[in-house]
Amino acid sequence: MSFDSTYTRELPLVEAKKSFKEIDEVIALPTETKPTKGWWIAFSISSTALLIGAFCLSLTFYYGIGMWGNNNPVGWAFDIINFVFWIGIGHAGTLISAILFLFRQKWRTGIARFAEAMTIFAVMTAGIFPIIHTGRPWLAGYLLPLPNQNGVWVNFSSPLLWDVFAVSTYFTISFLFWGIGLIPDLATLRDRTTSKIKKTIYSVLSLGWTNSNRNWSNYERAYLILAGISTPLVLSVHTIVSFDFAVSVLPGWHTTIFPPYFVAGAIFSGFGMVSTVLILVRKVFNMEHIITIGHLEKMNKILLATGMMVGYAYGMEFFIAWYSGNTFEQFVFINRAFGPYAWAYWTMVSCNVIFPQLFWFKKIRRSIPITMVLVILVNVGMWFERFVIIVTSLHRDFLPSSWAMYYPTLVDLGLLLGSFGFFFTFLLLFLKTLTLVSISEIKAVVEGAQPTIHPHPGGNGQHHD
Amino acid sequence: MDYKKKPLPPVVGKAGFGLLGIGLVLMILAFAVNTQRAFFDYLWMYMFLVSIGVGSLALVALEYLVGATWSTPFRRISEFLASIIPVLAILVIPLFFGMHDLFHWTHPETLQNDPLLQSKASYLNVNFFIVRVAIIFVIWLAFYFLFIRNSQKQDVTKDPALTRQSIKLSAIFAILFIVTISVTAIDWMMSLEYHWYSTMFGVYYFAGTLYVSFAVAAFFAVKLNENGYLSERLSNNHYYSFGAFMFAFNIFWAYIAFSQYMLIWYADIPEETFWIIMRMKGSWAYFSIGLVFVHFIIPFLILLPRSSKVRPGLLTKMAVWFVLAHFYDLYWLIMPTYFKDGFVFGWSELGFMMFAIGLIITVFRIRAAKTNLVPVGDPKLESGLNFHLN
Amino acid sequence: MVSIMIKKLINFVKEYDSKDDREPRSKKLFGLAALYNTPNEIITAAADVAGKGYEKFDVYTPYPMHGMDDAMGMKSSKVGYVSFALGLTGMCLALLMIWWMSSVNYQNIIGGKPFFSLPPAIPITFEGTVLLTGIATVFGMLILFNQLPKINSPLNDTDFMKRVSSDKFGVVIKADDEKFSDSEVRKLFLSGGAFEIQEIYYRETNLGIKTPIFDGKFISIIFATAILTAIITYITLNIVLYDVVPFDWMWKQAKINSQSKSDFFPNKAGMREPVNGTVARGFLPYEYKGMPDSSVKLLSNPLAVSRKVLERGQERFNIYCSPCHGYFGEGDGRMKDQFPKPPSLHNQKVLNWSDGNIYHVITNGQNVMPSYAEQVSVDDRWAIIHYIRTLQRSKNASDEDLTKAK
Repeated sequence: MSFDSTYTRELPLVEAKKSFKEIDEVIALPTETKPTKGWWIAFSISSTALLIGAFCLSLTFYYGIGMWGNNNPVGWAFDIINFVFWIGIGHAGTLISAILFLFRQKWRTGIARFAEAMTIFAVMTAGIFPIIHTGRPWLAGYLLPLPNQNGVWVNFSSPLLWDVFAVSTYFTISFLFWGIGLIPDLATLRDRTTSKIKKTIYSVLSLGWTNSNRNWSNYERAYLILAGISTPLVLSVHTIVSFDFAVSVLPGWHTTIFPPYFVAGAIFSGFGMVSTVLILVRKVFNMEHIITIGHLEKMNKILLATGMMVGYAYGMEFFIAWYSGNTFEQFVFINRAFGPYAWAYWTMVSCNVIFPQLFWFKKIRRSIPITMVLVILVNVGMWFERFVIIVTSLHRDFLPSSWAMYYPTLVDLGLLLGSFGFFFTFLLLFLKTLTLVSISEIKAVVEGAQPTIHPHPGGNGQHHD
Repeated sequence: MDYKKKPLPPVVGKAGFGLLGIGLVLMILAFAVNTQRAFFDYLWMYMFLVSIGVGSLALVALEYLVGATWSTPFRRISEFLASIIPVLAILVIPLFFGMHDLFHWTHPETLQNDPLLQSKASYLNVNFFIVRVAIIFVIWLAFYFLFIRNSQKQDVTKDPALTRQSIKLSAIFAILFIVTISVTAIDWMMSLEYHWYSTMFGVYYFAGTLYVSFAVAAFFAVKLNENGYLSERLSNNHYYSFGAFMFAFNIFWAYIAFSQYMLIWYADIPEETFWIIMRMKGSWAYFSIGLVFVHFIIPFLILLPRSSKVRPGLLTKMAVWFVLAHFYDLYWLIMPTYFKDGFVFGWSELGFMMFAIGLIITVFRIRAAKTNLVPVGDPKLESGLNFHLN
Repeated sequence: MVSIMIKKLINFVKEYDSKDDREPRSKKLFGLAALYNTPNEIITAAADVAGKGYEKFDVYTPYPMHGMDDAMGMKSSKVGYVSFALGLTGMCLALLMIWWMSSVNYQNIIGGKPFFSLPPAIPITFEGTVLLTGIATVFGMLILFNQLPKINSPLNDTDFMKRVSSDKFGVVIKADDEKFSDSEVRKLFLSGGAFEIQEIYYRETNLGIKTPIFDGKFISIIFATAILTAIITYITLNIVLYDVVPFDWMWKQAKINSQSKSDFFPNKAGMREPVNGTVARGFLPYEYKGMPDSSVKLLSNPLAVSRKVLERGQERFNIYCSPCHGYFGEGDGRMKDQFPKPPSLHNQKVLNWSDGNIYHVITNGQNVMPSYAEQVSVDDRWAIIHYIRTLQRSKNASDEDLTKAK
């Protein structure tokens, strides 16, 4: 075996060389068959969680957000933690679909569509929380700069308003990105199906795509531009989320490293979630040849790298807190590590920095069960990171007389559960209705899919060198 | 592989030596005229050379780490530039004699009257400072020699195991690089104003090192290849990657710089804003606004169109621009501590700049004389040469 | 009964679902289509077709194929221009919006910062740029450049399309190409290794024979849906949710209004009374209350005369004093026939009064005149006094004053 073939480049992206027809069949199969028992079990679990969340939400609406454990001084708690957590989950999707596309990492094709769908559902989930935190979500229209009878405009200096713009832009662009990726696949499904109703739906959704090369040419350019703008967009979204905290003067929140630190954390947690779900999905839908163990290993490497970036930020924050000589700043960090919420802090550090160090070993990177455990820990750790940042900074600040502890209520926990239910219900519906791997993209990277000659009109074909 | 080793034209050596010589004379004069100013200029030049030397080593490690192939034919260029590291180990010594001139925190009377400084004296003291610099140099030198040894050995043995070993080294170096570069930035530049602190500072300098070391690599790569020193098979596809990464590193720097500035501006806490206010006094205000244009906006607009990322002439010009922009950036970081009322750029600063550029060219020429310009034994070379955009 | 109905419904849906819905094709030829097996064959075929000078042709592949644009002699895509133009527009619009809303139309000081400054405007400007670039890219690509959506293209719903969206590669030369000739095209296809050639005909809708969008049924369904939606929305928002917690606009709140009854307090009143001796702001007790005006000589006017004070005094005087005293203080007010006429303010007694005396009369009242302390604030009373003095001066002016005024 030569070095080249064991090295990253030359590994086939689709294992066990499959023909185009077989690829169509494998990928379209979930959309053409009735759901399996396993799917129904998963669906009933997630929709139960969703219903619990919906129940807690109606309690919140009826009685007001006093149902939550939020208090004075901890005015932001589970709601904002969940918001930041879910927005972060979304970032992996855009990273895989846009940034890896720009870096020409062809292995992304196997997981991009799925990760993009996760982005959309995660952003939807995230969007719920700040809106319900306002208490009157049906008046959320006032978050936008719309002309109104009071003659007032929104506060453009507020990072919370920047969030409104960032998250809605992010959702729109991710949706468009995902949507144009789906068009060719929907055309393939349209041409496969024998059902009239399905055909009508697919025809409308695929906009009458004909696979024409004159269309492909514009399509590819548009895809490149979208990838180009999505990359800074994804950075901006979590940067702006970090501004929510960092523009304040609160110790533990106001620190200049927050923007890149939040972005790295978002990618880290997003990859954790993508891995968690992907490991199950590839097994359930028999896609081990398309979503290979190589994909999982690469994602584990990214987890290791981003985990260490997060670790760098933890360390730098601690060091500068000491170096600044600012006693408030120092207190916050001592309080995080040794105060009443020390358990949350150490959960965060061990799940995000210590345990991922196991990914240094190739054996562990390629072991599915250990990866599964570690990525779930990453999810837990990143949720606790937001808990630590938000709750520990708020519960003890400048004025010791207003210190208080925060304890979540059952409604808080129900909403957290409900957010998972919401996300997974959408995800499960997606898995059965649309193609979870991009058919056209995966075909393009199969061995032998691209011509080896490059002729020009009128000239002879020159051979690829 | 169609690579044939050719010696570089003598004009390169002359230019390098010329700049180095004139620079050296001006440097000595500068020390004779105004020692403190000369030490600040020297620090400025030193940080620039750290950016190039250590940044280039990081680029080498980055290529191994992510398994990039398009850059393999150019890896030698970064390796040559990394040879500045051993020179840096010598160049750093004079700075220790200028500690008193450079760093206010080294003055015993300051320490006595400043409780804030006392609280961080266990970090900011001359002994520990020197120990840190020494440890950092041990790390840089060790990795430099390991990477270079592996790469050059491979020219002869063509042993893929060496690449595998370098990948492992890269993973370790990546971590050490981030830590050492942050400590370097904090020690040499942030501690000039020892009251000021920013958690982003290490990342800010890191963004600058990638920005400039990549640009210098692009300059040499495009120039050498256009004049037929590398391979005929290197084409627009490779140039595009240079252009695209220069563009990307530029945006990354702007992102970091904006985030740091915005957060300090918005929170408006006196312990942080004084550092920005220093850079808004007198003519420094124009200098600071100029930084945004010189470092970010102008290169951004020039490199934005796809077509400009593949034009070799434009790429080399932009690379030179990036070098000057990094000088500009470091000047903005370091010099306000010395020139408090407004920026001054005289023959002394010019001399130090000439010395730095002359040194880069000379080191490159000396290394290029003995070693292949392309890593002929690298197993990734073939796919690197075959690299196509689509 | 219900189960039978459900079964019938299911059967109906199934029957409908399995019907062949292929639209009848006209006799007019759209073009000739050829299918190929491998990427190399198709890319060569594309170069051949383009090389022969055909212009109205296209290549159909299940995925984008590298080098095909060159093979077909196509120019590079222009999508980027639309993206750039709208991106720039988005940036300008966002900046303009922030500047106008926060520093022109609705100025609001926040955190002591300027109404408009660049650093906090950058995030939204950036998002606006990206949003418009993205929308322009996608819709520009689909609508402007690819002329989509178009679900009744003659190619859709053909065997040819079923193959090229799965595993084969195809070329279509349109019949309206100037060089089109059936036999030439077939020869060209076969020489390039095509394994199948198909004739594609226009749909009837393509030729305007049938236009389902103007179908009466279709239009009436749309109409009915619109009306129904409007009615349901109206009822939901204005009747169903009007008075329901939590959509009740906070009309019902768990609090005690000042006028309401409360069982919680011993006196059963919702309003709490102030502590004894409480003095409201601006209502300091008047120390000479009920005393004769002789005792108030010490009071003097604390307000300096200024145009503003005089105008205020005039305004208050016209509101509160003129109904009885008249606009010029001559006692000929609008109430003169319904109410005892007050004496003129220009009589010697009032002219000799100090400001304090007038203040006392306004505050305390005199004879039939009640106290105006509740209606006119302390400052306004002094302003009125300045105005009365002005009136007196103007009504009793001497010739000297005229020369002085010159």
